[in-house]
Amino acid sequence: MADIYSTAWYEGVRDAMNARVATMTDLPKGVLHIKVEIYGDGISPYIEEDVERNFLIRIADGHCDWYREVDGDDTSVKLDYRFRGPATIFDEIAAGLQDPIDAALHGTVKVRGDMRFLMRQAEHVSVLLDAYAHGVQTTWPLGRPPYAAEHKEALGA
Amino acid sequence: MTRTYDAIVIGAGHNGLCLAAYLQRAGLSTVVIERRHEEGGGTNTEEPVLPGYRHNMHAQYMEFFDIMPMIRDFGLETLGLRTIKPEAQAGIAFADGRPPVILHRPDLLDRTHASIARYSKADADIYVELKHRAIALEQLFAAGLYSIPQVAGFDAQGEMLTAAFGDLGVGPQFILKSPKHVIDEFFETPELRALLYRTCVEWGYPIDGQGLGAGFLLFVMWTLGNWKLVRGGTHGLAKAMTQACYREGVDLIENMMVDRVLVEDGRVVGVATRSGEIRATKVVASNADLRQTLLDMVGAENLSDHWVKRARAYRYGPSHVLGTPCFCLYEEPHYTSARWDDDIDRCFYTMVGFDGPEDTVRYIRDAYMGRLPKPAAGTWVNSLWDESQAPPRRHAATGWYFLPSASALTTDEWTEVRETFNEKFLDVWHESAPNMTRDNVIAHKLYTPDQMERKNLMREGDFSNGEFAPDQLGANRPFPEASNYRTEIAGLYLCGPSAYPGGGVHAACGYNAYKAIAEDLDLPSPVLADRGY
Amino acid sequence: MRNAYDAIVIGAGHNGLTLGAYLARSGLEVLVLERRHEEGGGLCTEELTLAGFLHNVHANYHTFVDLAPPVHDLDVRGHGVEYVRPEVQMASIYDDGTALTIHTDLDKTCASIARFSEQDADTFRRLYSEAHGYVDLLLGTLMYQPPMSVKELTKALATFGVEDRSEFLSVKLRRETINQFLDQHFTNDKVKAHLAFHGAVCAYTNDVPGLAIGFPLLIGKIDNWHLCIGGSHRLAHALWRDLAQHGGVMISDADVRSIVVDRGRAVGVRLVDGTEISARKLVASTVSVEQTFLEFLEPSAVPEELHSRVKNDVKHKDWSLFSVHLAMTALPAYVAAEFDPDVDRAWVVNLGYGSLEELNADFAAVRAGRLPDPKPNAAVNSLYDPTDAPPGCATGLLRQFAPFAIAGGGEGEWESMGRWYGHRCIDAWRKYAPNLTDDVILDWVPYTPLEIAQKLPNMVRGDWMMGEVSLANMLDQRPLPELGQYRTPVEALYMAGSTQHPHGFITFGPAYNALQVIADDLALDAWWRQV
Repeated sequence: MADIYSTAWYEGVRDAMNARVATMTDLPKGVLHIKVEIYGDGISPYIEEDVERNFLIRIADGHCDWYREVDGDDTSVKLDYRFRGPATIFDEIAAGLQDPIDAALHGTVKVRGDMRFLMRQAEHVSVLLDAYAHGVQTTWPLGRPPYAAEHKEALGA
Repeated sequence: MTRTYDAIVIGAGHNGLCLAAYLQRAGLSTVVIERRHEEGGGTNTEEPVLPGYRHNMHAQYMEFFDIMPMIRDFGLETLGLRTIKPEAQAGIAFADGRPPVILHRPDLLDRTHASIARYSKADADIYVELKHRAIALEQLFAAGLYSIPQVAGFDAQGEMLTAAFGDLGVGPQFILKSPKHVIDEFFETPELRALLYRTCVEWGYPIDGQGLGAGFLLFVMWTLGNWKLVRGGTHGLAKAMTQACYREGVDLIENMMVDRVLVEDGRVVGVATRSGEIRATKVVASNADLRQTLLDMVGAENLSDHWVKRARAYRYGPSHVLGTPCFCLYEEPHYTSARWDDDIDRCFYTMVGFDGPEDTVRYIRDAYMGRLPKPAAGTWVNSLWDESQAPPRRHAATGWYFLPSASALTTDEWTEVRETFNEKFLDVWHESAPNMTRDNVIAHKLYTPDQMERKNLMREGDFSNGEFAPDQLGANRPFPEASNYRTEIAGLYLCGPSAYPGGGVHAACGYNAYKAIAEDLDLPSPVLADRGY
Repeated sequence: MRNAYDAIVIGAGHNGLTLGAYLARSGLEVLVLERRHEEGGGLCTEELTLAGFLHNVHANYHTFVDLAPPVHDLDVRGHGVEYVRPEVQMASIYDDGTALTIHTDLDKTCASIARFSEQDADTFRRLYSEAHGYVDLLLGTLMYQPPMSVKELTKALATFGVEDRSEFLSVKLRRETINQFLDQHFTNDKVKAHLAFHGAVCAYTNDVPGLAIGFPLLIGKIDNWHLCIGGSHRLAHALWRDLAQHGGVMISDADVRSIVVDRGRAVGVRLVDGTEISARKLVASTVSVEQTFLEFLEPSAVPEELHSRVKNDVKHKDWSLFSVHLAMTALPAYVAAEFDPDVDRAWVVNLGYGSLEELNADFAAVRAGRLPDPKPNAAVNSLYDPTDAPPGCATGLLRQFAPFAIAGGGEGEWESMGRWYGHRCIDAWRKYAPNLTDDVILDWVPYTPLEIAQKLPNMVRGDWMMGEVSLANMLDQRPLPELGQYRTPVEALYMAGSTQHPHGFITFGPAYNALQVIADDLALDAWWRQV
């Protein structure tokens, strides 16, 4: 059990990812850096409106080395992917209420980077996403999504 | 958001581009604002009739390239400017097939001599002699062209003429003669006279223009044989100049009409356009014509009564009012006169439809009087030298008619001219070149003065933006108080052909405007020691 | 020009200039050579009729300006390009006086469709909304990176379960026509006709199997057509300027005769006038495969099999466009404005196609070399561009689907039929806009499929997409499998024009994708890859 967006939670996500890929073969070689940008939307209680929280994930040879919160201006790492979206959507994904691929297809989470790799590694990517969405027992100290229904509209989801 | 530059140049004609390149190089952040979608103004090449057939809509031949400072200063040849200088430069063909008269490049004067001598050895001798004198005066001529004009009194001009041509009987009185007088005095051959009259008209000198005769000796004789064509079309010059501007960092805004020049406390501060104001901290230079600049953009309210009067009195046309016929051909013309000298089939410029000097005179007097002349033209078949100007085994021919000023005919009359005049000219062309039948013409189009006025705001279709007459030339252009490119509005300069020396592709208006601005703002001088100007 | 550069790009269309500008910004000495006297290729704006009337001779619609990375990377707007997105993008006017309008406002579009079918309006809203969610992600994925194979794509879509997550996107669409898609989802003939017409204008011909796969994406961009103020050529100037400001040189009237190959490597070009220029690092061709491999390269430099495949297997569109450019003193006033006043503000209007059958019949006729009874589409740029005509005047552009070669006489027939057919197209327009009488039309000129090929020879047989748009000629199969990744069998020679994936249109895609390949090969610092 870990509070959403806490260090323990990141580590939980990392462990879940690694547990899931442990049995996979043909994992992609090399190192990838993925940045997740979550911005407050005035609905989620975990990120204030107009505040942004940034997370960096390092994947090496298919495994998650680490998953940590970073300063938004940090340019020390050359990014391979950037996922960007409102906090409520990310909260819902973490709560298993919203499917991350749906979020991408609806354009609520914007994806940038070399899509060829994501497409070719679709299986691997799906496994990682599943770990994020369902791999950690998350606790919600400020309340749990879904948030009030009328907010859904505002997000355009 | 208002943008601010050090300098604004109004109009991306070749003079505007020239000025902008020098200003930016001198460290002034410069923007050129062009009303059209294309840069180059009169250095304009299009495919107006059929794909692949190039026609120069205004400027055809380039006589100033060897002395034009910008070409060297900005390495235009490394930026795509390429030229061709055909051997046989200007010729006249005749319907009855009598010998043509052909003027060649200055390095081939023996061939020119032979051509004229077929009619008159005396004329051939004097032509060659005058050409040598003109070549000897080239440095002086170039220095004069690329300098702010100085007022030279009648006496000084007379002295200069006498020194250069005195042994040929030329004295100060030649200043007062017309070009026709001078040509008639030197040459007896009607065929040669017909050709030379027309070259004067192209320079901008009305053949009957009293006070322009000396100019024939000094300028027209220099230009003869110095004509180059730009590979791909005249617009190639504009392209290379634009590329030079881009590389210097000049900003260029197209499709943007300057509606107003903004003046505050007697000083220019910028311009107004449809998308807002653009401010200038130091310079606004106008390549647009005089009246447009002063009366339309600056406005009478910002000028003294005297300047308003001067601007209103400034005249446009009838000199330098052109119609440009564009023909797409299967075969290049073959002239009956070629049986004497087949160079006439390979002349850069060929006059057609002038059977003798009377025809040339009548033609040009008609045009100047606002009457449609009997068709005759100077013609170019640039695809003879440059395969890029027409599809394989086809030819693109362009010409110049001189036509009445745009306002002399109604819109409907111009429409009719566009629909009929080429056909009438073809009948004339066919008389001297039998293969110029309707069947040899794939398609054609005529570009008339009213269209030139609309396309480039060349008032009256006058490509010099102002009549060539002694009171509007030299240090009198556009009027004495404005002849040094400066205006009575501080920071506002003229850099187009309304200023000295006038129309033509010399870029001198822009270059000299830079000199004036450089003096005022203490910018680097463009003068190079080995060039001397 | 000098005698050696790092990179020589053949062709100064938008792809050639774009590639040149990126390479120049990457520090290479770049020369872009253009056969014509003007840069821009299809970005061609001329005063074809009268002075002051700007006509887009080729490209008129820019649909990817907010998606294509070069627009940002090369600071196209900073170079003065102004885009307008007309509020009323398109319309169809039908024979019965009714009309359908597509707006930038989805509600208005749906309200217009609802006048024909409430159900179709709902369907359209769902389709548009769904497509709008993924269009940028998918188009970005598909268009702005070197192509994957259809197999790879379908496998990924299946793994991600995209089919289950969307109503309209389905792997089976790769076997279906747009007609089938429309029949499955829509009910009203006129609504279907408009949507099919929209596809056809994008070169996605409604009766070609497989093209349904792209249709949801077309709908996602249906309201995203942009007009380049002052004519499409403005964009060419902007790209040229970016190239030149970064040290590159564009030379027009420079007709390439051959690509010089030394021991299997492209090392330069020779011009028709004999000038030889060497390329230290690469030569990129943005012109047709035919010119590149049959004309510019010695047969000995091209593998025999490729040579014969270029000769025989390159697929071109089987229809072209006939255009009429008009100079007018009035905007069209449509009779159908009584039904829907917004038609008078529609940028592009389909005049008369009211059912899929009518479109099918005309495409069948066109493929057989026959000229259909004109149902042209009319674009009036002056509605949204104050600079393209003198005050109080307007330009008009009629475009009619037409064959390149006319049955019985071939393409040469166009020389004598252009004005006749142009008259018929104008008459067809007048039927819907009777105010366009002779005295309103100051001048007009036809522009035939033959002229397309004459003006821009890389649009082989008037093929303005520079290669058929079909599943067999898409992605890594375009223009031929061995050329599908921008590299060629000749070392250091790249293909970077619209013959390549994604295709013609002002997409910037071929140049941008070729750049990725070149960057990998030359180990360039890919400053533009901003994740």
